Amino acid sequence: MDYSHYVCDLGKMSEKPTTNDMYGEQSDEEDVKVAAQEPIKPAPLPKAKLPDLPIIEKNNWLIHMLFINKEFEKCKQVIKEQIEMTERTCEYALYVQGMIQRNEAMIQESLESFQAAAMLNPNSLENLKQVGRSLYLLGRHKAALDIYAEAAKLSPQDPELLHNQGVCLVYLNDYTKAEECFKKALGVQKTEHSYSQLGKMHILRGDKDGALAIYKKAVENFPENSELLSVLGLLYLQMGDTQRAFEHLGNAMTYDPQNTKAIMGAGSIIQDHGDFDVALTKYRVAASVTPESHALWNNIGMCFFGKKKYVAAISCLKRAHYLSPFEWRTCYNLGLAHLTMHQYASAFHFISAAINLKPKFAPLFMLLGVALTHLEDPSNAKQAYEQAIAIETDNSMTYLNYAIMLFNSGDKSHAAAQYAKFEMYHQKKALNDPDVNALVAKLGPILHMGS
Amino acid sequence: MSEIWLAAHADPVANIHTFQSCMTLSNVYGQTNHQCVIADNGDLSWPPKLKVYNGTTLSYDGNIVETPTAIVSFHVDTTEPRIPAIAMAAGPYIYVYKNIRPYFKFTVPSLDINQLEQDLWNQAKADKIDVQMLHDMLDSIKSDSDSVPLTPLSTKFLQTAPHQRSHFVSVYRENPLKRQTVITALETLKKSHPDDDAISCLIIGTENKDMYILDPEAFTVLVKQSLPSQPVFLRSTGLYDVDYRILVACRNGNILVMKKGANSPKFCITLNSHPIGIERIGKNIVIATMDKNLMCYNNKIKNLWSIPIPHNITCLAGMDFKAKTFKGVLVGMDNSEVRVYRDKFLVDTMTVPDIPAMMQFGKYDREESTLIVITKSGGLHIFILKRNVDLSQGLASASMGPSPKQFQKLNVPRKTKTFVDQTLREREHGVAMHRQFQHDLYRLRLTTARNFAEALQKKMMPISSSNFAPLKLSANVQGIGPMFRLTIEVMNTSTSHPILGAYVVLVTNDTLYVLEKCYISLPLLVPSLTYTVNTMVRCTSDQGITDAINVFVYIKGKCSPVLTAIIDMPASESMIVV
Repeated sequence: MDYSHYVCDLGKMSEKPTTNDMYGEQSDEEDVKVAAQEPIKPAPLPKAKLPDLPIIEKNNWLIHMLFINKEFEKCKQVIKEQIEMTERTCEYALYVQGMIQRNEAMIQESLESFQAAAMLNPNSLENLKQVGRSLYLLGRHKAALDIYAEAAKLSPQDPELLHNQGVCLVYLNDYTKAEECFKKALGVQKTEHSYSQLGKMHILRGDKDGALAIYKKAVENFPENSELLSVLGLLYLQMGDTQRAFEHLGNAMTYDPQNTKAIMGAGSIIQDHGDFDVALTKYRVAASVTPESHALWNNIGMCFFGKKKYVAAISCLKRAHYLSPFEWRTCYNLGLAHLTMHQYASAFHFISAAINLKPKFAPLFMLLGVALTHLEDPSNAKQAYEQAIAIETDNSMTYLNYAIMLFNSGDKSHAAAQYAKFEMYHQKKALNDPDVNALVAKLGPILHMGS
Repeated sequence: MSEIWLAAHADPVANIHTFQSCMTLSNVYGQTNHQCVIADNGDLSWPPKLKVYNGTTLSYDGNIVETPTAIVSFHVDTTEPRIPAIAMAAGPYIYVYKNIRPYFKFTVPSLDINQLEQDLWNQAKADKIDVQMLHDMLDSIKSDSDSVPLTPLSTKFLQTAPHQRSHFVSVYRENPLKRQTVITALETLKKSHPDDDAISCLIIGTENKDMYILDPEAFTVLVKQSLPSQPVFLRSTGLYDVDYRILVACRNGNILVMKKGANSPKFCITLNSHPIGIERIGKNIVIATMDKNLMCYNNKIKNLWSIPIPHNITCLAGMDFKAKTFKGVLVGMDNSEVRVYRDKFLVDTMTVPDIPAMMQFGKYDREESTLIVITKSGGLHIFILKRNVDLSQGLASASMGPSPKQFQKLNVPRKTKTFVDQTLREREHGVAMHRQFQHDLYRLRLTTARNFAEALQKKMMPISSSNFAPLKLSANVQGIGPMFRLTIEVMNTSTSHPILGAYVVLVTNDTLYVLEKCYISLPLLVPSLTYTVNTMVRCTSDQGITDAINVFVYIKGKCSPVLTAIIDMPASESMIVV
């Protein structure tokens, strides 16, 4: 193609410059169709030039534009025509077909499309990556790893490949190799995904200190990522560092006021400090984002409980219980709320349900003891207290409740023994509850006199 | 409706379907008022058209040959009066219009042809090699990944059915081999002066991963540049003769920054998602991506900010409001909203009648600040920015505050009066309730245990767990009566051992049902295959009385059944005598 050709075109135009469809005579496709349908005839005159055949990649730009504009229906139509016209030799059409199929959750079909594209162009990194991704989505992690290994031959330092390999290895429980992959990926390019996957892997392994270090570094690199911030905050919370936990969770909420994880973490810290109204305002945001979270309703319920609005508390706790019937914490709280409401029969049910779900938790047995005492079943109540003491020997409250129960049933000597134990453990802990103090003031003198 | 826009014109049935790149604002007739030129691809089902909107009317509506890729307006010469040309890219060609009249056609330079392929076709032309040979040789070139790709002609030849190949060769061998590429993106770049009506070069991106800069007057290639991927969007700043930068959004999701004279991209932004649009706002780059993010990078490609957009972004346009030196971006979303952002702050939100598909902000007619929105359904909407608008007010209200959701009331489930009554009752009679409940619970457990023991004794379970004959039985009844068909399926659930000598015995009330077979011998039961046997049952009563049929599975030599099933028969329809 050279300049003379353009001049030639120019000349042609000037002959009839006013017609609108002056380019019409060059319509490629119609002529091609005619040529294809023609029965076998002697070759046309040698001088008559046949039209050019359509370019295979002709509509790639169109497919891409429709794809990024999310016009998938139209895009599929163009792809279909393109694939038919080129008899499955248009690599890009197959590639986008795979992307759309994956988007429509047809993973197996998308795998086939990507494989077809990879067959046409085995040297394309992108095709291999997508084959690997589809295999990964199908849960065939080993096969995906093989594909990634092949792709790595084309581009050994691709962070995306390394990251994906790491993810597959985590699923195959090969944590050491996975860690290596993530670290390599982070060495090439620092991404939020790699950090959060690496951190998650450490949590999976139960290595909280390792996870903490990873997330700290991640937050240094991505100080505005609320997801990373909230996970770091929750890690601190699990390790008992409430101050730092609150700091990070607060930051997470500044960048994303609707981050439920951060809201739940921060809310529970606020709740522990007794600021129930503040916690409730935070929970209101979460309630509009995740209205079906049992943990949220459990916490809201306990906020109301703290505010002594027991009916509302039971309502919320029952919703939490409905959303997640096997959560022992909700059962425990429901038991507690019903005890407070003097509904001992209901309390008994929730506490025994909680014990079935969590058999090795002493306070549950203590509550069961309290409930059974009120249900006039002293022998079982005693057993419950004994069980609670057997699991946890230094819970002073168990001894106090046990002593009260024994005292009320007239067994003063045993009551005094339990009370002595209560005093022993009680002094160790700086508990200052007015209710407990009142009880101690009442019970102490009587038992001491008796002994 | 937003406060800052005036609705100037609306044509909901304008029937325009195209992409953002196929729309430009320009004074195509060389007058003071500007027109909107749109290359309409006809929604890929009607013929593509070139449309010019002037004021509130469609002043030109002409057919074009191919689906247009992009359209730009630029000056090609210095003649007076200053009339800009329109360049429209479609397929491998650029059609240049002046005064909305065809002016010039440029074809993208052809690509190199594989020498071996050329030789083969030359030989075929001279009848030196036969069709089979040609096919095999071309096929070997195709499978060699390092070589120059084949021309469409050879590819088509390879796809032709064997019996048509010789015909194909005889028809096409006179055609010169040609490998063309397609234009994927188009942009202009001012040549030597930054004035609005200065001459501009064209920048072309092609499917073959090349970028060309063309001389505006002679249409010769000034610069040819290879790219790592196909360009999708091009944006330029600077002057060709002095220094320039070109932003290239690629099909692989990367954004490259090309500088004058450099052979490789200076910077590269790797995105997690495909860009839907890129705009230069001053020295910054604003990118809208498919995963609902709006991001900003500076000249050194440092990410300045990134904000999530609550809905899918459908289009992005720059907004340069010169009267108030306001520079921002317009973001169209699929909830039919158009938002104005200044940096990362939301300034204004406007609802348009339909999902905006593309937008352009600029001079239209005689109004400097006009927004043209074309919706997904093909409607055309023109808005004028109020001249006295204060866009800084929006900024104040857009600043962060406590989420309004904090003040929503919690949806706490309400409790009924019955609930309160029950609570009171429980407080009074809690002990009795508890005892009654415990008592009933023991009884329930006892009944369950008894029934279970009985079932075990009578082998009344659908699955036998005995070691020597692990079997599974299911039965169903078909028909409406008086004839029924009883189908019994038996499966050996053991993993390895076949079972020999099993048989089925059917027992029922003789006065009510007549069985065709009451003893059915089973074949050797191979593990995990289902064996189906069936028998006809006739109901002799027309009173509508039903009874059960007992199905027993025995193994020869054992006196107690392995499995028992009781089938409750459905009520029979009475016999119809024809």
